[in-house]
Amino acid sequence: MVTNEQQPNAQAKQSYASGIKPVWCPGCGDHSVSMALNKALMELGIEKSKVLIVAGIGCSSAMPHQFSTYGVDSLHGRLLPMAVGAKLANGDLTVIGTGGDGDGYGIGGGHLIHMARRNIDITYVVMNNEIYGLTTGQASPTSMMGAKTKSTPFGDIEYPLNPLTLAISAGATYVARGFAGDPMHLAELIKNGISHKGFSIIDVLSPCVSFNTLNTYDWFRQRVYKLDQSHDPTNREGALAKALECEESDYKKMPIGLFYRNEKPTYSEMDMVIKKGALIAQPMPSGEEIRDVIDEYK
Amino acid sequence: MTSINVRIAGANGDGLESSGALLTKVAARNGLHVFAHRGYQSIIRGGHVWYQIRLSEQKPWSYGDGIDILVALNQDAVDYQKSRLKDNAIVIYDAGKADVDALDPKKYRLVPIPLLDIAMKTSGDAIMRNVVAIGAVMGFMGMDIRELNAVVDSTFSKKGQQVVDSNIKAAAAGYNYEGVKKAYDLKGDGKGRYVLDGNTALAMGAYAGGCKFYAAYPMTPATSIMHWFAAHEAKGALFKQAEDEISAIMMTIGAAHAGARAMCGTSGGGFSLMVEALGFAGMMEAPIVVVDSQRTGPSTGLPSKTEQADLLFAMFASQGEFPRIVMSPRTMEECFKAGADALNLAERYQCPVIILMDQYISEHIESVEDFDLGSVKIDRGKIATAGAGGGRFKRYELAADGISPRSMPGMPGLEFVATSYEHDEYGDLVSDVRSGIDEHVEMRRKMNDKRMRKIDTMLKSETIFVPNVVDDGAGYHLVTFGSTTESATEAMEILKQQGISVGLISFNYLLPLDKEKTKRILSGKKLIDVECNFTAQLAQVIMLNTGIEIKNRILKYDGEAITGEELAQKVKDAIANFK
Repeated sequence: MVTNEQQPNAQAKQSYASGIKPVWCPGCGDHSVSMALNKALMELGIEKSKVLIVAGIGCSSAMPHQFSTYGVDSLHGRLLPMAVGAKLANGDLTVIGTGGDGDGYGIGGGHLIHMARRNIDITYVVMNNEIYGLTTGQASPTSMMGAKTKSTPFGDIEYPLNPLTLAISAGATYVARGFAGDPMHLAELIKNGISHKGFSIIDVLSPCVSFNTLNTYDWFRQRVYKLDQSHDPTNREGALAKALECEESDYKKMPIGLFYRNEKPTYSEMDMVIKKGALIAQPMPSGEEIRDVIDEYK
Repeated sequence: MTSINVRIAGANGDGLESSGALLTKVAARNGLHVFAHRGYQSIIRGGHVWYQIRLSEQKPWSYGDGIDILVALNQDAVDYQKSRLKDNAIVIYDAGKADVDALDPKKYRLVPIPLLDIAMKTSGDAIMRNVVAIGAVMGFMGMDIRELNAVVDSTFSKKGQQVVDSNIKAAAAGYNYEGVKKAYDLKGDGKGRYVLDGNTALAMGAYAGGCKFYAAYPMTPATSIMHWFAAHEAKGALFKQAEDEISAIMMTIGAAHAGARAMCGTSGGGFSLMVEALGFAGMMEAPIVVVDSQRTGPSTGLPSKTEQADLLFAMFASQGEFPRIVMSPRTMEECFKAGADALNLAERYQCPVIILMDQYISEHIESVEDFDLGSVKIDRGKIATAGAGGGRFKRYELAADGISPRSMPGMPGLEFVATSYEHDEYGDLVSDVRSGIDEHVEMRRKMNDKRMRKIDTMLKSETIFVPNVVDDGAGYHLVTFGSTTESATEAMEILKQQGISVGLISFNYLLPLDKEKTKRILSGKKLIDVECNFTAQLAQVIMLNTGIEIKNRILKYDGEAITGEELAQKVKDAIANFK
């Protein structure tokens, strides 16, 4: 009999899916994201118990339940700090954040910029459907100008947020955009994001088939194109220019792929405690060490 | 009690605190007891600040009423502090900077010393006038100047020999100044003592208790906990400054979930931001410790002043119901113990533990004989053994005692999803498509019961959830909690000397409470409630738990801590008008 240990390929191909029936609507982009994430994990072959998937709240928060790894579905907008705590405590974990546009760019928007500048090795996948789905269709921070939703029945009069330029300017070291209509391409972006050392964000155009009648699969397919070799992801200015193309072209052209990548030391590589090893593996202080700190006050 | 109250008064930026700290250390090393407190404002330069040091032959329980030695660094110091001077008080003032015409030279001993001139001559640094003054205070106290030299050496040696030398020179100039000579004679007992504030004791206690992760956003008066962890990172506990308090508590939950002992700290405003996450920790059963160092509220309130008005807030914060523990340490020793105990309780019962501090106990300084390191025992609670779950782990097993063995990410075979939604034993949601379906309605009830059963388990397994009684047979009993306990202890001693029999019932733990035992302790006694808030929150908690209504109340909410003598007077009034 051949065990998994003797057959690395079999190990690598093991699915990470939990088999729990997803709650997403048929046709929801999040199904593809789930598939792409599973594919990325399968190709990387990371030990199941070492994977922690952290979600916020919204349709996207069903994601951890689709996996048989460790998972958390936490609070609306708060997945990033939760993920930071876990990653700092145990750097051996592969920590993946999965959220939505309301969750990550709206209520949790403040955390994103700090996450980006901290460069902690976490991969953040944002299912961006330009709408609040689970609350049945209100305008989100990425809803387009003029979008008619339940909260903007006469058309949205706020300009949408550009998550890509935000992430690049705030210091994220891996910034990509995928499309739920192309799960194979998305899987590659997620896989490379996980492999990237530092904070990775993958914004995913993930259509909401129930509440967003504007940004549909067809709408995206007419606009989306893949970045090719002519784009240099190590050039920050060029990356910003590409990230602006959506707006500059009045949403006629929407590039997907890797916009920006930069190798910088991560937070954990610089922190004096973690450099010595995972927090959870470090011993409790000895009586002598405790006495030492108390004696400072004599 | 034989004690001397020294108050140094000046402006923010004058460096009162560091020179005051020198005096407390010298005294504590020489076997005196010390109790120090500072009054400051939420500004960086200017304004009026004071630092009062009580030096005593016996253990003092407050910083003392009245001033025996005043060091006045400017005119405000004379004007604002003169009403507190005791008869025959010594007033050291900078002749060029303050005039004392308002003070009766027959009533007080006025000592002009050109502090600034001496500072400039000895060190070329104006800030050293404090140290000149401390030297003079030591002269009046009859202390040995060589003791100060040793403290200066150990405090400033890192900053270089020049800093050490100029401190020593400045102090000696004050000590030897014409007319400065022994006026008081306090005798130390020869025991060297530690001097520190409550936040430091708490931080060290948490460190001793295995705290590996502390997250916070700066907020007075909790900030010095952060400073302690930041300065001691090399000792192996990670400090993470967060972008806000929501992030601080979520990071703490993340670290605790992953298996590191974790704590966060803030004041009321930050605690308000943490509330949603507190409920999340309750729901996912994350073992976290949250420190709320209360300040005068509501809203921004008085940032540098004290109050005990977050008690009910801490007990009830969050939507829904879940077990939690609320404690409020009463002494420096308990602040130290709270750190380790809270982490143990959090992991033993897999629930949030809230430590209620306040500006007074967080920031006042006391001398402490020693800390009981033997009492620090680390108990990590029920942890599942690897593999037992076979990949589909019942993290939230409906355990009889409510405490299900937990696993941490990284442990093979024990994978599960923790969630803020209501869930079943596996962590699978009973919301969404399962919500309202009979078996899942049943599961919601069972899971809530399971969590809430932990309260019964706590009460059965621990002996801590009752108040302490001092002098059970006394005629009247003060009832209080947290930081006010020390002042109540002093008031009790003062009243005893006056022949008034008053005992003390004080609470360290406030939630949960052993209702029967608490009721038994309180029953049949003449009770006087003492708290620093308007609505008598402790009295409300007692009413809720025991049905006993305490009608006699001494409540203070002006931002200042209640002192022993002040309280003793109010207790006499309360007894005279006892309802």
